[in-house]
Amino acid sequence: MTEKKFTKEHEWLENRDQIVIVGITEFAQDQLGDIVSIEFPQVASSFKQNDVMAIIDSVKASSDIYCPIDGEIIGINEKLLEQPELINQSPYDEGWIVKIKPSSPDQLNSLLSKEQYDNLVGQNKE
Amino acid sequence: MNFIPHTKDDISKMLSVVGCSTLDELVSEFKPRLSELKLDEPKSEMDIVSYMTALSEKNSPMKYFAGGGSYDHYIPSIISHLVSRGEFLTSYTPYQPEASQGVLQVLYEFQTFICLLTGMDVSNASLYDGASALAEAALLSSAHTKRKGVFVEDGLNPNYFKVLQTYCDGTELYITNSIDQNTACVISQTPDFKGNIKNPSGLIEKTHQNNALFINCISDATSLAIIKTPGEFGADIVVGEGQSFGIPKSFGGPYLGYIAVKEFLTKKLPGRIVGMTTDDKGNEGFVLTLQAREQFIRRERATSNITTNQTLLALTTTIYLASLGKSGLQNVARASYHRAHVLQEKLCKNGFELINTNPFYNEFLVKSPKSTEKIIADLMEDNILAGIDIGDNKLLISCTEKNSLQDIDSYISKVIA
Amino acid sequence: MKLIFNYNQSNTNHTPQENDVDLPEELKRGSLPLNDVNEIQIIRHYTELSRKNYGIDTNFYPLGSCTMKYNPRVNEDIAKLPGFSNIHPHTPANHAQGALEVIWELEEILKEITGMDAFSLQPAAGSQSELLGVMIAKKYFAEKNETRTKIIIPDSAHGTNPATAAMCKFQTVTIPTDKRGNMDIDEFKKAIGKDIAVVMITNPNTLGLYEENLSEIKNIAKENGALMYCDGANMNALLGISKPADQGFDMIHLNLHKTFSTPHGGGGPGGGSLGVKLFLEDYLPIPRIKKENEKFVFDSNKEKSVGKLHSFYGNFGIIVRALTYIKSWGVDIQKISQIAVLNANYLFCLLKDDFDVPYDRRCAHEFVISAKNFGEKSTINIAKRIIDYGFHAPTIYFPLIVKEALMIEPTETESKETLDEYAKVLKTIIKELQEEPELVKNAPHTTPGRLDEVKAARKLNLRWIPNES
Repeated sequence: MTEKKFTKEHEWLENRDQIVIVGITEFAQDQLGDIVSIEFPQVASSFKQNDVMAIIDSVKASSDIYCPIDGEIIGINEKLLEQPELINQSPYDEGWIVKIKPSSPDQLNSLLSKEQYDNLVGQNKE
Repeated sequence: MNFIPHTKDDISKMLSVVGCSTLDELVSEFKPRLSELKLDEPKSEMDIVSYMTALSEKNSPMKYFAGGGSYDHYIPSIISHLVSRGEFLTSYTPYQPEASQGVLQVLYEFQTFICLLTGMDVSNASLYDGASALAEAALLSSAHTKRKGVFVEDGLNPNYFKVLQTYCDGTELYITNSIDQNTACVISQTPDFKGNIKNPSGLIEKTHQNNALFINCISDATSLAIIKTPGEFGADIVVGEGQSFGIPKSFGGPYLGYIAVKEFLTKKLPGRIVGMTTDDKGNEGFVLTLQAREQFIRRERATSNITTNQTLLALTTTIYLASLGKSGLQNVARASYHRAHVLQEKLCKNGFELINTNPFYNEFLVKSPKSTEKIIADLMEDNILAGIDIGDNKLLISCTEKNSLQDIDSYISKVIA
Repeated sequence: MKLIFNYNQSNTNHTPQENDVDLPEELKRGSLPLNDVNEIQIIRHYTELSRKNYGIDTNFYPLGSCTMKYNPRVNEDIAKLPGFSNIHPHTPANHAQGALEVIWELEEILKEITGMDAFSLQPAAGSQSELLGVMIAKKYFAEKNETRTKIIIPDSAHGTNPATAAMCKFQTVTIPTDKRGNMDIDEFKKAIGKDIAVVMITNPNTLGLYEENLSEIKNIAKENGALMYCDGANMNALLGISKPADQGFDMIHLNLHKTFSTPHGGGGPGGGSLGVKLFLEDYLPIPRIKKENEKFVFDSNKEKSVGKLHSFYGNFGIIVRALTYIKSWGVDIQKISQIAVLNANYLFCLLKDDFDVPYDRRCAHEFVISAKNFGEKSTINIAKRIIDYGFHAPTIYFPLIVKEALMIEPTETESKETLDEYAKVLKTIIKELQEEPELVKNAPHTTPGRLDEVKAARKLNLRWIPNES
């Protein structure tokens, strides 16, 4: 297992054997509040970095989830269709969203480290 | 008239709290107005009633044998008494569900009625009218299939076609002549504009083979009581005009659009949806739900900009359906069917030719042996609207339970005179 | 919870019995799963439901941006006259002269009030009016062979504005709000260009503030060839005082149910309308209504028109009510707006020391205050507690740019006494927040308790399902 990477848009990524798992951060789920549904991308579709790939709806907001890295969607967390609350309960584990096969794995290096992300989130808090 | 309760004394006290000396000063920032306001002197209630009544008397209510998207069904008395209650009439979208349980439950019942009648899984809480409901269904199909082609089977109400065309132009969809991999939806009307009841099974199959959505647009909603449901035929989306269910003809509006879908399209539905839930004590109650779909949350990512629905008319429809019940609604549909068939047979005995190639419900198309323009003008003298003249001496005629056998006889005698 | 489907009674027979029909089996409906309920039970069921509902008739209802003014009952009686309610829309125009005249006359009056050159009453609601406006802009620029792909909308705007732009495949350029509550003029200058089709502004804006830079915005928009669109949701502040055409707008939509007192009916039917300057008149939907030799006729012969928008001619019954209302006010309409503005400013002054005030300026017909100083979720708690005191809550959490926002629009038909009472209630609740916070957090106590919206969205129950027997 490698260390998680983060984006400014509050997604996290974890690289496991050339497959990148993506979810949203604890901070993001807290901001969104109770999540009620998720609109997934089609498996086998490809995205560029920063394309909108999914939409998460909570009672009070509808948020785009950006693809953090170029690549192809090779899996989605189907459990979330029935239990979207898993994102709230376990954002870093059971609440993962998609698996991506990256086409430019180097992009991972340019993303934020945990420390950098924590700093960013800290700044956002008033 | 004056609907402002303030006394002069109130106004001056309030101005001093606000820190202004006059009302004009208060609004002086709101500029400009470059010309004087040219409006009439204000009127008392008595005067406005007589002015508006005189205007209304320039219109002539008649015996209607015309449909074409608006049908002259009987409206039970109970409806206006309940709908006029101020708690319903003067409330708004139930943003605070705890103070709006009445309206919310009505909408839940409305959604249920629409599902029961159409044989579909889920209904929203209503849209503007039949035509815009159809256009919204096309937008929904495009959002779901990510395609832009809209196929329209022959026989769609021309007014609906025009509205659909307007929406397509504005939203970059297009009307197509083929059903293929670019087709988002296939639209078919039942009964169609000429009154034909077609079996849509073949068309539905072709639609689904091409992974498009099938939209069934219902004309007179009372037909749902006796024609096999769109849900049973396999439609994905049903839309229609609810005016037949207790809403006055009122020169074309306000009416009530409805839209119902199969379950897999639930989250794509435009407009308001009411759901049942529980309160903090565990008691059942209702709220607006799936609101994240809507424009006020999703803004530029929403597929529709719809804000309001037609709640008061959904209430009207709900009370209408509750009042008529199963046997009443069947009676209305059967009577409409029988009267239309009696009139059609009598016309055909007098030189008219039936154009319909399929069974029809309460609306049919005939070719007249004489000028339809003259027929309409002649019957108008007896305060009868003979039908809709669609050109080429063809007349589109509609009956409801209100057209008595005597009315039909006077229609015939006038036509053959 | 008793639903109408839970009764099983004998039918009231509103219409006579009829024999079955002779349709082929493949087309014929099987069972009709409706129940019969007798009339007295229906009366009781829906009367009971009505009592579970707040309306203007029962409670002060100051929803910001919704203009919940008193709905005069004479309007209802007029709309029910048989010469209006019983007219079939396919009636030939020469037998519906009164109906055409009603539409024509209201168009004329709205032209006079807004300064526009032509009006269409075909849109069924505000959002459909907006859609029409943006469609017109799209067609107008297409015909001029100008590629304009964006619409400028301030961040305080209603959600419908960007949703409408997106429906018509325009990109939204969002402009932030400045410290005085205006659209930020410097940001606007950076955003404007030849790719902007429309500058869409609500005036007064949703903060209840008059746009102070309108004249400059208009000049810059015009230099760049963009159209100026006014969302007229807040016209109740301006009647007879300022004409939007004179402010520089090319198009405006008005909501008949807000400004012109037609009942909101639990969320509709409303009535829309779109007014335009002369150079856009030919784009309005068909049919248009013309006056020719003292007769009113339909005119569908308009090549440039965007087409048809409504099954027939618009929400005629709402148009009748709005005309009745405006004709009864006549030239005095400016009193409506003056008092609406007075009421809003008065209530604002009574409350502004108790709440955070994001923009401390004289307001128009509504104002926005914030409960952020009382902690997160204070606004929802206050709103629910207001219900216990027999008032409806204001609009909350809107506009999105103000944290813990309460948006209050009293309208002109509320008395000083009611406003004093409302201010008193809000002050009491703030006190309760400090002294008995649980009382407020668990409100309301006089109606059903707080409803679980999360459960509603996750475990969808959108209809009753009959028992298979």
